[in-house]
Amino acid sequence: MATVLATEHPEDTAYGQVGDATVPLRFSSLAEEYRVLRNRAAVLDLGGHGLIQITGADGVDFAQRVLARDVEYLTSDRCMMSLVLDESGQVVDQVLAFGREDGLLLESSCGAGTRLLEHLLARVADDDVQITDRSGDLTVIGLEGPYAWGVVGRLIDAELASLPFESVVDTAWDDVEIVFARTGLTGEYGYQMIVPIESAAALWRRSLEHAQAAGVEALELAMLEVRQPIPRHEVTPGASVIEIGANWLVDITKDDFVGKDAVVEAFEAGGGRRTVGFTGCPGVPALGTRVQAAGQDIGEVVYAVHSVGLDATLGLARVTEDLAAAGLELTVGGLPVTTLTSPYVVPKSWSIPII
Amino acid sequence: MTMDELRARAAARQQTCSQIKKMIVSRLDLEIDPDWITDDQPLFGRGLELDSLDVLELYVAIEAEFGVALYDSDMAVFGSVSRLAEEVDPALRAVSA
Repeated sequence: MATVLATEHPEDTAYGQVGDATVPLRFSSLAEEYRVLRNRAAVLDLGGHGLIQITGADGVDFAQRVLARDVEYLTSDRCMMSLVLDESGQVVDQVLAFGREDGLLLESSCGAGTRLLEHLLARVADDDVQITDRSGDLTVIGLEGPYAWGVVGRLIDAELASLPFESVVDTAWDDVEIVFARTGLTGEYGYQMIVPIESAAALWRRSLEHAQAAGVEALELAMLEVRQPIPRHEVTPGASVIEIGANWLVDITKDDFVGKDAVVEAFEAGGGRRTVGFTGCPGVPALGTRVQAAGQDIGEVVYAVHSVGLDATLGLARVTEDLAAAGLELTVGGLPVTTLTSPYVVPKSWSIPII
Repeated sequence: MTMDELRARAAARQQTCSQIKKMIVSRLDLEIDPDWITDDQPLFGRGLELDSLDVLELYVAIEAEFGVALYDSDMAVFGSVSRLAEEVDPALRAVSA
């Protein structure tokens, strides 16, 4: 299904099917949109992210059980990113959980809303829990870039730009109630606005007066460069949270959550594979391309693209734990690569203060 | 490089990263197993969610434990444990050619 903003996008926008959503991959060129995101401010159509509301007397308890991080005291002015796991510890999705007065609002990763909704509905027992798909009446517009804070000031309120990370404010834009959050997926200053779909086009057009649109390709490239997990690329069949390297999206000290036993078991067992970044080989290797060290097979490529920031191939390889380290010369498909230290590109926002 | 040499090089980095993780957990009184922290995860904002006060504490801890002063370093140093490892042990930056 196309995003609600699809009618606003130029006719020559390149779309792609990601899970249950048809999303804008590029509006102009990947390189141009990437440079906008890394150097100025990009506006993002995040309509491919599903929005699911959890309410009811047992809603927070339910959320606490199905989310891998601790959301018991997630107040309505905070949000946090968390994995959602199944009972075997496999990643179902990576969500942004917004605390709400009447429960929580979960924002799925791109194209994963239907899958997340089905997962949640299947785990509601006899509790007083209501799961509501809000994707039909709300959508998400993002702002990302080293000067995104300036756009927030011109668009809504300069004070919102300097909110602490993962803060949430219920505010108004042009007399429309929106949920505004300081978030960020790329290491740059990032914000999200959850807006009623009937007002989304107007907010999008106004945002474009101050920022340039960037598509999913530029966003995902910038996410990869700072090792922000992208579930649709990195979650491969059978891979554990630890192999993916998404430990930080799981609170292993939490009493209990769906999938915890499997995660703890994998952690305590040790061994297995780990994910490490690499660059170097000419061209972009296909997924599954074998990775070798000193002529021996040690793993495979799970995701690779051409990084505009590095002007080189950038990929993730899943390799044996003893060789999952930066600074090694390996081969991918027989071609030499070097493993990397994260972040692979240093975000400009790290050296630019919000004024 | 032979496989043994590659493994030794990886182990050297992993050992420094492990030492840094233990230092972070100890100095900041974090209630997690140091090994739960990955070499590549972000440390500030996202990831380990450290703040500017934690940075000051880590400056002191790194100098005490590794003899390296990082005062006035740019924030990229704290981009990940592995990046921090390269600051406290610059030899790790060299590639295993």
